[in-house]
Amino acid sequence: MKTYFKPVTRRKFLKTGAAGGVIIATLPIWKLCSCSAPPSDFYVNPASDLSKETLEKLIEIALQKGGEFAEVYVEYKVDNRVSLEENKIYGAGRGVEMGVGIRVLHGEKTGYAYCDDLSFDKLKQTAEVASFIAAEKEVRQPVGLKSSKIPSYYLVKVAPDSIVPKKKAKLLWKANSVGRAYDKKINQVNVGFSDVNKKIIIANSEGTWVEDVQTISRLFVSISAIEGDKRSRGYAYKGGTLGYEHYDLKLAEELAKDACRMAMAMLPAEDAPAGEYPIVMAKGRCGTFFHEAIGHSLESDGIRKKTSCFWDKKGKMIASKITSLADDGTIPGARGAINVDDEGTPAQKNILIDKGICSNFLYDRLNAGLMKAKLTGNGRRESYQHYPIPRMTNTYLMAGEDDPESIVKSVKKGIYVARIGGGNVTWVTGRFVFSVPEGYLIEDGKITKPLKGIQLMGKGPEALKNIVMVGPDLEIWGGGTCGKDGQAKPVSDGNPTLKVSKITIGGAKV
Amino acid sequence: MNYKLLAENVVKKALKLGADEAEVYLENGRDFELSIRNGDVETIKQATSKGMGLTVFKDKKLGFSYTSDFSDKSLEEFTKKTVQLSLVADPKPWNGLPDFKKGKIQDLDLYDSSISEIPNEKKIDIAKEVEKIALTYDKRITKSQGGFFGDAENEVIIVNSKGISYSYKSSGVGFGAGVVAGEGGDMQSGGWSTSKRHFKDLDAIENVAKKAGKRAVEKLGAMPVPTQKAPVVFDRYAGGLFWYGILFAMNGDSVYKKTTFLTDYLDKPIASKFITITDDPTIPRHIASVPFDGEGNITRKNILIDKGVLRMFIYDTITARKAGVEVNTIAGRGGYRSPPYANFLNVVVQNGSVSREKIISGIKNGFYVTGLRGIGTDIPTGTYSCGASGFWIKDGEIAFPVDGITLGGNTLDILKNIEIVADDIDIRGGLNSPSFKISEITVGGKK
Repeated sequence: MKTYFKPVTRRKFLKTGAAGGVIIATLPIWKLCSCSAPPSDFYVNPASDLSKETLEKLIEIALQKGGEFAEVYVEYKVDNRVSLEENKIYGAGRGVEMGVGIRVLHGEKTGYAYCDDLSFDKLKQTAEVASFIAAEKEVRQPVGLKSSKIPSYYLVKVAPDSIVPKKKAKLLWKANSVGRAYDKKINQVNVGFSDVNKKIIIANSEGTWVEDVQTISRLFVSISAIEGDKRSRGYAYKGGTLGYEHYDLKLAEELAKDACRMAMAMLPAEDAPAGEYPIVMAKGRCGTFFHEAIGHSLESDGIRKKTSCFWDKKGKMIASKITSLADDGTIPGARGAINVDDEGTPAQKNILIDKGICSNFLYDRLNAGLMKAKLTGNGRRESYQHYPIPRMTNTYLMAGEDDPESIVKSVKKGIYVARIGGGNVTWVTGRFVFSVPEGYLIEDGKITKPLKGIQLMGKGPEALKNIVMVGPDLEIWGGGTCGKDGQAKPVSDGNPTLKVSKITIGGAKV
Repeated sequence: MNYKLLAENVVKKALKLGADEAEVYLENGRDFELSIRNGDVETIKQATSKGMGLTVFKDKKLGFSYTSDFSDKSLEEFTKKTVQLSLVADPKPWNGLPDFKKGKIQDLDLYDSSISEIPNEKKIDIAKEVEKIALTYDKRITKSQGGFFGDAENEVIIVNSKGISYSYKSSGVGFGAGVVAGEGGDMQSGGWSTSKRHFKDLDAIENVAKKAGKRAVEKLGAMPVPTQKAPVVFDRYAGGLFWYGILFAMNGDSVYKKTTFLTDYLDKPIASKFITITDDPTIPRHIASVPFDGEGNITRKNILIDKGVLRMFIYDTITARKAGVEVNTIAGRGGYRSPPYANFLNVVVQNGSVSREKIISGIKNGFYVTGLRGIGTDIPTGTYSCGASGFWIKDGEIAFPVDGITLGGNTLDILKNIEIVADDIDIRGGLNSPSFKISEITVGGKK
């Protein structure tokens, strides 16, 4: 999550009004897991009625003040959620949204307007509002739209939107009963299933015309344990660009057990020590570290504006030799997988750090154009209410050669990060902070006591140089929702087992 | 379109389709945002939008849906589906609309009609001006993150089958700037903004800009300090953030589920006697004020912590009924896309009587926190651990900038160790605190 500053606008009054513009934190499970309804009306949506001719006409209107580039983004979204808490199905919910966003680029300038009314008059007006960013005499002619075929990286056979909530609820009941039976100290089990189904159409003045149907689903289990005045929390989930065929009772059971294991393991946790220590990160569960602490600083907006700590580092050594970082939108089924980005550019795999050398940045169309760089398929937006900005997809530290066991053995006194939690980075300095919901002490090469209240702090550029061991056991895992400039976007990440030689640990013990 | 009438019709339709109770929460508004970089317009974004959330209860079961499609045909389908959705849920005896107390919604003066008449040229000029002054604040300021201006208008309508039909209009307007300062390989960013309901209430452009510049420059050269225990002063803005996790731990639903460390602390002292905290969304013209809460209860001022004693948890109606306690009208709402939930609305920590300068001057060796990274308080355990930046205090004076350290401890210990509260509250958001001093906290940094 970037700490980026902006004046508060209407949506933000509503979302963060009470919080005074700070980070949105613990919301009820209802909001964590998004949810479903009777058979789908998903494919018969009004957005499908926008003909090629209408799209071309809108692009033409958007360019009428001399803009260099115009684009129409059409979105129809259905999200479903069903959740269970306190041994009861709490409720099922459904949301439908649609709208059109029209963007005009002119040099470094962006004009953007959107509306949620699909009548031609309203759309025309929206295109006109966006067009005013330019004021040129000469008007460009758009290229006629040509539909393009794209490969698919989504693993969807059964659309989750087509499954009735009653059926989804069976998964929740299974996880609930497994969780409740796990141990007497388990006092709360919350489970949710959510799916988001989106159809998007992107058409632009360079002739691009693509449609994509995107599905993201997730099963989430959260466990609370209590013993005397000690409390702990555990969680587990599976999710991605996955169809309903990936969810069954066995999975629900596994997730519930994993969440219970974590809650029980953390129940006796002691205060973490404060100070500088080496850390070992567990495979798969710590990729958020690379997303937050490094990835955001490699997004091209900060590079172009020279406000990222890596703006002048292309081709230079910025990490230890064993460090390679990739962002790959084409990992099948991953939460950040996309067939095309939200500007219609096909997804691809991009190597950002190659054996320690800064080799590429993440581009959207605006920044790639201004920096004369190739598009990387990273122009993404939350919805039709937002213009695209450079964003990550599935970001991971690439595999190395060190034996995972010997990585832990090499630490005399340090911290084993079994799972990394939420993080936050200031991209100008690269300074980050992460919470560690599951962490342990390492003493003489062995993982010993569970620790609570661990915070990892440091600077991205320094941490990169301190990566001293990397295992071969790369795993891409779950993922979450990343926030940047007020836009939320699903992403995933991953990592092999690795060691960072020193990092500042915040804890209560001196 | 008459949206109140539309909302009333949807409620009627839901009842006709079999719902026992129904509520529509509808929003309708417009947004404008612009950014400037290096004196040129970078983005202009404008839009109108709307949406409604429909909550229904049938046989004590809850169903919820939202939509932004208001066409007759879609609304018919939408209402039908929402009623069907409620059948999936399990019945809960506490489900249902609030029992409303008779009252009249207050006019909190939240709408400034003049905002929609500000020409774009003037907005652009303001954003340019704030960026320009911020950039010239100090020679070490080298880059701009931009100057910004934004304004918005919104109408909230809540209509339900218990006869509640309320609405209010509000506006918001704000501007600010962000800049980057550099010196000897170090870069630091700083920004500041002002946002208010009324244009006239905004801070002066020059003050906002200079504050943005100052916040970047003063951090140059910031370094971690060695790990130690030290007295810490939270400045009023970092202080506001400090309370965030503690307020979450006071959520009535978490208390009922015993998942917060504050579960057993009602009517017990949890903080030093200098701490009194209210939730007051009735302050006229304030950006976080609302005439009714997320479920249509008329808002009022509530005392949450009184001289250190925890007097109230935060409840929405359903949670309060479940827990068997009195409703305290503090339901939040994440817009039309979410049903109501327990959440504070506008928290105000009461001022003390000592100036911030005086507090600092009394410290021989300590830390003055001006920035926090993260929430800090872990809700289940009460462990406090938070990234921090600010300044080191030496012999009563600000000595040098500090960054990359953490503050750690136990939240209850920290609260009890609040020694002095300053008199400098600046009510500007939904979480407002004066500066305060904690006698001792673990500062984690270099070995």
